[in-house]
Amino acid sequence: MDQQRLTRILATATTHILLVLFAVFAVFPIWQIVNISLRPGDQLLSSTLELIPSNATLENYERLFTETEFLRWIGNSVFVAFAVTATGVVLASTAGYGFSRFRFTGRNFGLLTLLTTQMFPATMLLLPMYIMLITLGLINTFLGVIIVYSATALPFCIWTMKGYYDTIPVSLEEAARIDGCGRFQAFSRIILPLAAPALVITALFSFMTAWSEYIVAAQILQDSQLWTLPLGLKSFEASMSTQWGLYGSASLIVMVPVVLLFLALSRWLVSGLTLGSVKG
Amino acid sequence: MATLLPYAGLFLTGFLFLGCGIRDNNSSRIVIWHQMRPDEREILQRQLSRYALQHPSLEIVDIYKETEELRSGYVIASVSGQGPDLVYGPSDPVGVYAVTETIRPLEHLFPGTFLGEFDSSAFTFFRGHLYQIADKVGNHLALVYNRKYVQKPPETDEELLALGRQLLTRYGVKAGKPSVYPLTWNYTEPFFFIPFLTGFGGWVFREDGVTPNLDTPAMVEALNFIRDVRGKHKIVPGEADYEIADALFKDERAAMIINGDWSWAGYLQRGLDIGVAPLPKISRTGMWCAPMTSPKGYSMNINVPESKVPLILDLMRFLLSEENQLESVRILMTVPTRTSLYSHPDVTSNDILKNSLLQIHRGKPMPVVPEMRAVWDAMRPGYQAVMGGALSPEEAARQMQELALRKIRDMKE
Amino acid sequence: MEKRRLLITFFLAPSFVVLAGVVLYPFLYNVVLSFGNMNLTTIRHWDLIGFRQYVKIFTEPSQPDFYTVFWKTIVWTVVNVFFHVVLGVFLALLLNQKLRGKSIYRTILILPWAIPQYIVALTWRGMFNYEYGSLNIMINKYLGLPAVEWLKSPTEAFLACILTNVWLGFPFMMVIALGAMQSIPHELYEAAAIDGARWWHRIRMITLPLIRPIMVPAITLGTIWTFNNLNIVWLVSNAGEPADNTHILVSFVYKAAFNFYGYSYAAALSMVIFVILLLFSLAFLRTTRATEAAF
Repeated sequence: MDQQRLTRILATATTHILLVLFAVFAVFPIWQIVNISLRPGDQLLSSTLELIPSNATLENYERLFTETEFLRWIGNSVFVAFAVTATGVVLASTAGYGFSRFRFTGRNFGLLTLLTTQMFPATMLLLPMYIMLITLGLINTFLGVIIVYSATALPFCIWTMKGYYDTIPVSLEEAARIDGCGRFQAFSRIILPLAAPALVITALFSFMTAWSEYIVAAQILQDSQLWTLPLGLKSFEASMSTQWGLYGSASLIVMVPVVLLFLALSRWLVSGLTLGSVKG
Repeated sequence: MATLLPYAGLFLTGFLFLGCGIRDNNSSRIVIWHQMRPDEREILQRQLSRYALQHPSLEIVDIYKETEELRSGYVIASVSGQGPDLVYGPSDPVGVYAVTETIRPLEHLFPGTFLGEFDSSAFTFFRGHLYQIADKVGNHLALVYNRKYVQKPPETDEELLALGRQLLTRYGVKAGKPSVYPLTWNYTEPFFFIPFLTGFGGWVFREDGVTPNLDTPAMVEALNFIRDVRGKHKIVPGEADYEIADALFKDERAAMIINGDWSWAGYLQRGLDIGVAPLPKISRTGMWCAPMTSPKGYSMNINVPESKVPLILDLMRFLLSEENQLESVRILMTVPTRTSLYSHPDVTSNDILKNSLLQIHRGKPMPVVPEMRAVWDAMRPGYQAVMGGALSPEEAARQMQELALRKIRDMKE
Repeated sequence: MEKRRLLITFFLAPSFVVLAGVVLYPFLYNVVLSFGNMNLTTIRHWDLIGFRQYVKIFTEPSQPDFYTVFWKTIVWTVVNVFFHVVLGVFLALLLNQKLRGKSIYRTILILPWAIPQYIVALTWRGMFNYEYGSLNIMINKYLGLPAVEWLKSPTEAFLACILTNVWLGFPFMMVIALGAMQSIPHELYEAAAIDGARWWHRIRMITLPLIRPIMVPAITLGTIWTFNNLNIVWLVSNAGEPADNTHILVSFVYKAAFNFYGYSYAAALSMVIFVILLLFSLAFLRTTRATEAAF
């Protein structure tokens, strides 16, 4: 009996040690960013490791808000990210349902095609997309980036939604329909609320895509008034002289909302990510 | 249905809002793309807001883009009928812009009297047309030294090595690294290697200006030289990109740095007691190490409608004016392009500017042909491999040449 | 039946339209482009020239060499996905038990996923710095070992990219695995416990086989994403340094198109990548489905 207890304590201790090690590994680079953002002037480079730099200052944060258009970029990013999230949720929740509940010709092909959209190097889609957006007059508009981002996150989101719907018994809807609900009502009243965890994932994914994308934004948004956060951040970086302090502090502020979202949603994250299998 | 309504609402309001972002190419709005560093940007923005005060009906927007992004982004945008009105940068992409027919010739847009006020180095011609007018020349490397460690800058390579050894012994070595590195520069960009190549009598192109000339004895000697400086004499750090070299010098952990005119003002602002000297002479050849020089200036997008051209020309005249060039001279210590400024007391009384002018004199203009891009890309692997100890100079020189030829062929195919 | 068709259209058409515009049209454009000769000099008037670009990819020397880059991409993908899955499943196993502070650990371990990739890449690049990078400071000052020239030699630089990408990718797999493990009914473990099965035995006989159907699509997707991850390689190695030795296929494509204006060449190369991934996915899904039947 004692032997068994000892093994159990040892096992728990090992588990904790391992988890702490990995936690340190996970946090280390983040701590680096905090550290950089607190350093005075442009002293990105220091050859000591201190938890907090000895001459820590908040001047970078102050400069960020007083000397740059940071607030405007935040506003733009928030707007774009929310629009993309809303679009993504609407599109993925409906399309995922269609794939989960209907059997039709081309269904399997459609699902596979969704997967194949991830296989082509995305950067090569830029050039034709750019030409197309010019033709449509969407260059230098938020609508341009919103459409592109929604589509970028969409295949994954549809898969997630479809996988989750698959786990919801069809009998639930059937019961509702016997009660006189239409198919659409059954979807919106019964299924959608049940699929909340997957909706959360879809929302989170769409949000993240929009919040942190750089390459497409750089092509489409050419006006600094329309810049999103990644573009603003990039402008602190010049080929020969990077403003590291601003960069670090801005990075941290960009990270915070996403990290908070993850923290708030981490419970849902675990239950909602069911990619499902192709054949399902 | 109830569940979907809020989404639909959000969706629709979103679309309504988007209207705000849409702008057509109206003529009261002038856009400039540039790749200026933050300190240059500040000056430009000040100048633009002064101009805007005089022209309240105009909206002038300046947008920073990183070098590579500016180049490819501008070509794609302009080919698709878009892009900024003016594009500002060093002269080297002018060839690419001209070949892709994305900028327009300027020689007939300005009267000869106006152009006559500039030094000839201000103009970038390509295949007989004037495509760019510069407000500064330079972008050149020179030897910057910290007076705390160096009283008299070296004038030859031998003096440089001797000074290096002296500094090493004076400040000692800690944990395998010198406390103060005698010299440093950027090992990743071949631009920083050009002075050594020219010092040993080499150049990137043959006489015709488009055929690469990299597999030469001069190249091998120059590569050998820098390899020894790092490996044998150990007077430079083991690894240095631009950021490291710059930080080492700023932290006073390097006594000398090879860096461009863009960096000097920053060193002074930091309170370093620096001097700028022309790069040394290579004793064996008797030739000065010559950096590349290039003008930085404005080119006009081919898509600017005729009706808008006068507006743009007026803005260009303003940005190229004496007063505005002088502002850059004072703050950034760059060399102006208006001849009248060369005798201005602010230029002649400044030691750094005087030496800078001397260095430009000894420098060679950077070629603007598109082939230059291929040569940079062909030199980079070899240069980095030699500095990293992975290739012999002979092999590197051979590979550079072969690669340059292939890249040029690929470019045209 | 009419009504059913209408419903299907209602559910699927909006997504289809968006994807057709943003993905399908550009894709088809690229197919055409890959048979053309668009480059710096022909950008305003390019023609279709057939298979020339494909021939060039496979038969003519390039810098860096296509086959070398191809194998490097395979190594990159296999190593990354391997560590993502192994670390992810391992951590999920640790977290999937009664443990004090479990949710705190889980939250912290998800963090790498939450940070935008370009910030991750540039931060790690700073950490790999020879002189000032925190990794070398640790190695040199605290462990007393010689500092590593992370970004100056091909192998170390490639290793640096991999390390960065492993850091950023394991939380995704961990979350998927954790979700899968939580859906395993408790009764199964209880039954096994009664049978006296040891911890490792239970994992091997119950957990791993049961999370498999969920891990397979995740691994497929993870492989595709890793294969095509431009950000990390491009930003950590600063566009392929040293000497274009750290490229994987996508970064090679990016360089060919946007640095050298070889649009048609890059389009053809993209098609090659597309076909490679398509064949892989089909084969992978098929073999795993075939073995699935054996359970």
